[in-house]
Amino acid sequence: MSHESLEATVDPAKVDAWIAELGSEPSAAVPLLQAIQTEYGYLPRPAMEMVIKNTQINASQLFGVATFYAQFRMNPVGRNMIKVCHGTACHVQGADRINTSLNHALGITDEEEDTAPNGSYTVEDVACIGCCSLAPLMIIGDQTFGNLKGSDAQRHLKKHAREHNEVLPGHAEQEKQKKKNKPGQQTAKA
Amino acid sequence: MSGANLTVTVGEGTCGIAAGAKDIATQLKKRLPDATFRTVGCVGMCHQEVLVEIEDDSASYLWGKVDKKNIIKIVKFHKGEAPAPEEFLVRSTEKGDLAGGQYLSRQTRIALRNVGQLNATNIEQYKERDGYKAISKILSDGLTPEDVIEEVKVANIRGRGGAGFPAATKWAFARGAEGEVKYLVCNGDEGDPGAFMDRSLLEGDPHNVLEGMLIAAYAIGASKGYAYIRAEYPLAVEHFGKAIEDAKAAGLLGDNILGSDFSFDIKIKQGAGAFVCGEETALLASIEGERGMPRIRPPFPAIKGLFGMPTIIQNVETLSNMPWIILNGGEAYANIGTETSNGTKVFALAGAIARGGLVEVPMGMTIRELLEDIGGGSSTKYPLKAVQLGGPSGGCIPASMFDTPIDYESINATGAIMGSGGLVVMDEKSCMVDIAKYFLEFTQLESCGKCTSCRVGTVRMREILTRICDGEGTMEDIDNLETLAEQIKSSSLCGLGQTAPNPVLTTLKYFRDEYIAHVKEQKCPAAVCKGLITHTIIQKDCTGCTLCKKYCPVDCIEGELKKPETWVIDQEVCINCGMCVEVCAPDCILVA
Ligand SMILES: Cc1cc2nc3c(=O)[nH]c(=O)nc-3n(C[C@H](O)[C@H](O)[C@H](O)COP(=O)(O)O)c2cc1C
Ligand code: FES
Repeated sequence: MSHESLEATVDPAKVDAWIAELGSEPSAAVPLLQAIQTEYGYLPRPAMEMVIKNTQINASQLFGVATFYAQFRMNPVGRNMIKVCHGTACHVQGADRINTSLNHALGITDEEEDTAPNGSYTVEDVACIGCCSLAPLMIIGDQTFGNLKGSDAQRHLKKHAREHNEVLPGHAEQEKQKKKNKPGQQTAKA
Repeated sequence: MSGANLTVTVGEGTCGIAAGAKDIATQLKKRLPDATFRTVGCVGMCHQEVLVEIEDDSASYLWGKVDKKNIIKIVKFHKGEAPAPEEFLVRSTEKGDLAGGQYLSRQTRIALRNVGQLNATNIEQYKERDGYKAISKILSDGLTPEDVIEEVKVANIRGRGGAGFPAATKWAFARGAEGEVKYLVCNGDEGDPGAFMDRSLLEGDPHNVLEGMLIAAYAIGASKGYAYIRAEYPLAVEHFGKAIEDAKAAGLLGDNILGSDFSFDIKIKQGAGAFVCGEETALLASIEGERGMPRIRPPFPAIKGLFGMPTIIQNVETLSNMPWIILNGGEAYANIGTETSNGTKVFALAGAIARGGLVEVPMGMTIRELLEDIGGGSSTKYPLKAVQLGGPSGGCIPASMFDTPIDYESINATGAIMGSGGLVVMDEKSCMVDIAKYFLEFTQLESCGKCTSCRVGTVRMREILTRICDGEGTMEDIDNLETLAEQIKSSSLCGLGQTAPNPVLTTLKYFRDEYIAHVKEQKCPAAVCKGLITHTIIQKDCTGCTLCKKYCPVDCIEGELKKPETWVIDQEVCINCGMCVEVCAPDCILVA
């Protein structure tokens, strides 16, 4: 599934500024890509092309580097990011259940997909973030939540969604179904 | 009284912040407006976060697990309005160690000596604790680079990043190498997925790492340095960046340091999420802007490294020991530890352990002392089964061997490695085949693909392990796994491939019966492998609360409110995710 609506508009002036700041020699490749991704959440094609045109970095190096490192994404992300740690400590303490639970709430059913169908959240698996004593844990936006059960993860997500005016597709579906299951009550109220 | 006589110190490392330290600090400031506030890095007692130390005129109190509720009691106590809520007291001047047990008293903190004791971003506080005295001593006493190398040689400190190579030997190579410029690289990539020693050091005492870099740079004659820090550690990058700035302003970094003719400058490079970049030659490729692929050695980086120049790559923790070694002498350091493994080692204790966190102990302490005296044993109702040491390159050591002393030779003899210090503790509920598979998946994904045996070999091993975990393995698979492992070990280009089979080999060696149970009986003894377990509701214990149904992602649980006898799980649909077990209050779901 592609999320065309999430595609970013690249500001050429910004890309130029990064090149001026970080340099245009080959060793600037990683920092430049990092600057682009920090801004847009992924690597928009037009920004990559500008870098190739305006620096000594060629396409083969830039794409080579962009696809080599796990940090870089070539596809747009949802409006909010959730990072789920899959380091050793988190793995043995049930990190998989956090994913199951989040995907359930977000209506993500396809294994290959990491973004909710409505573009609200992207769930990304990350390597150890160095707080192993609080395992398992996840980060929503810039807030870290530790010692999680699957159900806690959903609770924090729902709270975040409420505060950020996001609808959780999986959750909305569930509610709808609940109402469907109780048609009597539904009509009575209506 | 609003706390005018009090000094409040809040631990704000990444883990403290994750546990809510910033909120707690804000609340305390509201309740004790006249107190003096300080923030420090993580003391390493991660299991007690949020940690707050409050000192009054005569005594100091360290409070653990501070949250929105107990904060009121704590504040009342300090205002003299209520007795001390002792259940949250970790340590006090009067009572000594309480909740923390021997957590702190059994440690020997050298690399960590300042972590959790000072405000990491305040250079003055570092100076007050003998900071930058080592480099001043070198420069003002006229110690030659050779003198420094000799001192480090006497200390006999071996690299703490995993390989355990003697630092002084490497420095002597680079000292003698020819090159227009020489580089010193601080390796803060810390890729082991279960380790956070270097994060704490960079975050909690960045000036100490920086001074360590100065000492190493002086010894090898480097004028340029890089600190390669992984992208997952934003706070470490921030604190180290601030340390560089402040050191420059104080004349401790840049041209003619402290008026001498020694000049050295440091740049930070952030990693981009590739485990293999922790390997020294891959790391150099990454700094140069390339894909982080290892290069064939020789030539060794000490002769021909970054941009073709002599380069020394040293781990964060190794460098953190240097200022202490220079100030206290190599001999004092060498006196700690064992005959061949000198000094201390920092470990990150995580997993099923009661007191997890960061600890620094003398080499030679046994695994049992570390886990029980310091770590407080299992955190669950199940006994401990094994520890995983050394991450993806390391191995699992079974509980029966917990009396093994922690030194390079003894740990290597078990088939595991000392590694960088990640120590993940597992109880009876962990499946050793699953752990082996976890690490193999990790190394397979992280293999850079340059050499065939690692690229293809890890895929084949992963396939076999997946089959076994799914209950489709054969006895032949187990044998093949062993052969394949030995082949990959002996024919891979870099350390990643050469060590990738270790988790499999050690689990095969010590937990072969678990592999056999998966194959012959189609059973996962720890009830972890999803393909081999079922979830069923024990109706006599069920209360019919409906919580399991609410959280089931595949809607496979049905029943009526408060009617335990109606509750069942549809085995056809169930994916064995375990969500229901987590939320079930009466513990009525049987996993078998
Ligand atoms: C796959 C792989 C990953 C590594 N990751 C790290 C790391 O994250 N941090 C580190 O300091 N050393 C790491 N090393 C070891 C380095 O290659 C090198 O030995 C070390 O940085 C040297 O510093 P030391 O002698 O102070 O330990 C890794 C090695 C390999 C093969
Ligand atoms: S394993 Fe998750 S924080 Fe380290």
